[in-house]
Amino acid sequence: MNKSTGRLVLASIAGLSLFAAACGDDEGADEATTTEAAATTVADAPTTTAGPAIAGGEVFVTGSSTVEPIAVLVGELADEVSGGELAVTVEGPGTGDGFKKFCDGEADVSDASRKIKDEEAAVCAGTGITFIELEIGIDGITVATSPNNDAVTCLDFAALYALIGPEAEGFSNWSDAQALATELGSTSAAFPDADLVITGPGPESGTYDSFIEIAFKKIAEGRGTDPKAARNDYTQSPNDNVIVEGIEGSDSSLGWVGFAYYEAEQARMKAIEVDKGDGVCVAPTVDTIADGSYPLSRSLYMYVNEQKLAENPAIGAYVDLFLSDEGIAKVSEAGYVDIPADRLEASRATWAHANA
Amino acid sequence: MALTASISTSTTASVRAGLTESKRDVKGYVFAGALLACLLLALFVLTVLMWDVIASAIPVFDKRSTGFLVNDLASSPDKAGVSQGIWGSLMIAAFVVVLAFPVGIFAGVYLEEYAKSNRLTRFIELNIRNLAGVPSVVYGILGLVVFVQGLSWLTGGRSVIAAGITLAILVLPIIIITTSEAVRAVPSGLREAGFGVGATQWEVTRDHVLPYAAPGILTGTMLAVARALGEAAPLLLIGAITGRLASLPGESIVEQLKGKFTAMPIVIYGWANEVNKPGKRTGLTFEDLNAAAIVVLLAMVLLLNGAAILLRNRFEKRRQG
Repeated sequence: MNKSTGRLVLASIAGLSLFAAACGDDEGADEATTTEAAATTVADAPTTTAGPAIAGGEVFVTGSSTVEPIAVLVGELADEVSGGELAVTVEGPGTGDGFKKFCDGEADVSDASRKIKDEEAAVCAGTGITFIELEIGIDGITVATSPNNDAVTCLDFAALYALIGPEAEGFSNWSDAQALATELGSTSAAFPDADLVITGPGPESGTYDSFIEIAFKKIAEGRGTDPKAARNDYTQSPNDNVIVEGIEGSDSSLGWVGFAYYEAEQARMKAIEVDKGDGVCVAPTVDTIADGSYPLSRSLYMYVNEQKLAENPAIGAYVDLFLSDEGIAKVSEAGYVDIPADRLEASRATWAHANA
Repeated sequence: MALTASISTSTTASVRAGLTESKRDVKGYVFAGALLACLLLALFVLTVLMWDVIASAIPVFDKRSTGFLVNDLASSPDKAGVSQGIWGSLMIAAFVVVLAFPVGIFAGVYLEEYAKSNRLTRFIELNIRNLAGVPSVVYGILGLVVFVQGLSWLTGGRSVIAAGITLAILVLPIIIITTSEAVRAVPSGLREAGFGVGATQWEVTRDHVLPYAAPGILTGTMLAVARALGEAAPLLLIGAITGRLASLPGESIVEQLKGKFTAMPIVIYGWANEVNKPGKRTGLTFEDLNAAAIVVLLAMVLLLNGAAILLRNRFEKRRQG
């Protein structure tokens, strides 16, 4: 290779690094148009943030990967309304991991797809961290199978327990679970004679905890089995897209994911209707989740560190923005379901009271 | 040239035919065929993989053009870009170059040129080889405990500095091993000639051994940086950001090094978990963006490797000239 080629390559390396260095300012060519579009919608909407300038500073949000997209949207909104002065950094390692960091004092806000557990709250108490709990939205856990699976349309809690509960360990065919389901008084249609291929989230996920808490807890307590566990012998993944692939990958699959993932991938999955035990099968839709008739719905929360809130006005500005009409609209924009007006008012009241 | 080649091959063939009494070497042909099949299979898999990634990446570069390269992490596939990932990866790579190169190269030279060849040296060498095989996630735990938690006053916690030091330690054994192998490959006649004319050990090492071994050392170090660029597991433990990375305007470089960060492999990891809803404006999904991000990461690694090859050729030329 000759010298001039060498110079060219070296120059392009240097170019790349300069290029990356220039990336500090985020106004890219194709961002300009979107910011413009967003700016007009902001101007049209009745804003609650119009008024005194927003407090600047940095906020670090960790917690649930389910809630992460909402927090990212609110973070982008904060960037817009503050002109870059309110810098919100968001990550989503999972509800459990989020509380670990939160109670360690590493994060200002922790998002959660379930309420904080007693043992997690004890860790927070140990490190002297007190917090404010705010309900911000609703998610429907969607039980799904392959679109080719015509044999299953509705499952009740007893049937779900027989298929996925701790006593189901070893069942590799749907019909293996029939005896247990019947014993538990399931009124679901008879299970097909087909391979039972389960993919779902693992114990680090709030989606795992919530599903078990809602569907299994009562049955497990009645039978003296672990009320906090599912069977262990299924494919577990923290990545929801992997779960979607698992559900799509077999004609007789079974799995559960957050509603936003189901909504985006409806062609690849069929939602199974859920019956909480009263014989009424309900499919997950925005309406059934919002009015609570879909049994597998759970609330989404954010937890705010009170000590950090007192020191850093930016945290207050972020939560103010989140609970404003504009901010809370991001919940449905991210694919989740708005909480009813009275519960939103309750969250706002809790927040106002904490700041009084 | 071509003529001599054809003569020599035909001679080889005729001699071989005479020796084997013109028996057909069936087993030999089968073996050669099997070897070729393995090569083709490997190439085929690689081609399919590259084709798949590049085919999904093209629409992204087409519709987003430079926006994809200069934008930050964002909620929508219409806006999200890899700039923060590129920048984070480059800062980490700089740490690896500054920390691991001198230490690794000097340690490798010491082991080969200065250390007495005894049981202790061999024991240390064996351990360095084992360290090179330790899974990267183990180094991630080390980084988390020592640099994120233990030395947080220095590193700023979950920061570029913590990630940079951890990855520097991760590639250190690789650099030491490649350096000592390159130094070992220096013909001993070169050293003896140097000593023969009265040069000291330092002069021989500086003027003869190091220049001769430089191409090999360089290849090793560049491969080490490429490895560091591609590592995701340690960075996940150290706490690279996946969702949104925001900083106040006018942050100094020190604040950036001590602040939260992300890197290319983490950007890819994070996007793999996003909801695959097509963006309103471009119709792209995060899956598409991920293919483009993989192309960017590959391009970075290839650029580094290309630079290493160029530098090596230069050193080799100087050595011959």
